[in-house]
Amino acid sequence: MKKYICPICGFTYNESVGIEEEKIKKGTKWKDMPSDWVCPLCSTKRVDFLEEAIDVALNEKVPFSEEGEASTLRKLSIKEMSALCSNLSKGCEKQYRNEEADLFKQLSEYFKNKGDFTKDASFKDLSNLIQKDLDTNYKNAKNVITKSGDRGALRALVWGEKATNILSSVIKRYDKKKNELLENTNIYVCEICGFVYIGDEAPKICPVCKVPNMKIVQVKRR
Amino acid sequence: MHAVRNIRLCTKDCLCLYVCPTGATDTESGQIDATKCLSGCRACVDACPSHAIFLIPDEYPLQQKKTNDVKKALLTLSESKTRQEQLALTITKTSDDPIVRQLAQALSISNRLLAEDVLREAGYMLPQSQNVKDFLQSLLDTPQPEDFPIKTVEKLLSIL
Ligand code: SF4
Ligand code: SF4
Ligand SMILES: [Zn+2]
Repeated sequence: MKKYICPICGFTYNESVGIEEEKIKKGTKWKDMPSDWVCPLCSTKRVDFLEEAIDVALNEKVPFSEEGEASTLRKLSIKEMSALCSNLSKGCEKQYRNEEADLFKQLSEYFKNKGDFTKDASFKDLSNLIQKDLDTNYKNAKNVITKSGDRGALRALVWGEKATNILSSVIKRYDKKKNELLENTNIYVCEICGFVYIGDEAPKICPVCKVPNMKIVQVKRR
Repeated sequence: MHAVRNIRLCTKDCLCLYVCPTGATDTESGQIDATKCLSGCRACVDACPSHAIFLIPDEYPLQQKKTNDVKKALLTLSESKTRQEQLALTITKTSDDPIVRQLAQALSISNRLLAEDVLREAGYMLPQSQNVKDFLQSLLDTPQPEDFPIKTVEKLLSIL
């Protein structure tokens, strides 16, 4: 059984699955498909589809091998592995794969606890890194990603830059007012995009990612 | 395709049991039995008054290819965000001022989310993708400290 992929939108026809909605039965061979059949997602013609040679051919190798093209990319740090695994855990939850979600969470915690928390750290150090993100990192990333036309990545940058601008302003405000900034009010974080809000009540919807405020959680004082 | 129930939305009026031709919705676990569910029948989806059931694909399309330039740009950001998370966490662990800890806690959560989002877009959107499997395999293929949870990684590789 083979698979055929739409070069435009990526829709995959799998001979072993068929297409229920179009009454194309399981096991229907590609050559036996109606000649006027078009991609159900983007209407690309059947002749333009590509046979999927091997699964991995479309999956670029990840940045872990030391050879070839990928060697220009570095390994992920322990801290990044923790964030990667916590995100994969959420990804599994969304697919109702609870066992996998738990396992990724365990891995994420393992990496998180491996962090080094002994070095001095201050809000000033944070603010320096934030400034660098805003001055150069987001700008560079935007240039590269706009050229590539990667919409998902661009979306992440747009939200990320907004949320980072807000982090920058939060730290500046704290620098001026010190504890008075938070003493008689609350602080919230949007669980979707990382937007931080200081005020008595969370906004109705997140101004950055537009999620309703049930996803904007309060961070308690301990 | 198979049906799943969002237990947080389910109002337990059980119309899904009434319409399901196979009894797949009739379980003690609260979740629909995927092995009994007919691919894409959706009778329960349409019958549920609380919009608590929907169909999810058994297989997702392959991960879109990411160019190395895009990945590099995103990894520059994930590096920075995870460093900020670590700084903020350090403050939560070392400061004796509850307000300082509270602010640092909020900053650490925010930075974790920002890091997650760029890493996800760097080619790790789907947990079952080849990229993720390669990542897990690379953990097994490189030397790890003694307390490394090898079993967890092996289990994941076997069920993903
Ligand atoms: S029909 Fe919907 S609300 Fe009723 S029991 Fe089934 S899932 Fe729950
Ligand atoms: S989709 Fe059909 S077979 Fe599957 S659980 Fe719902 S009613 Fe039952
Ligand atoms: Zn948000």
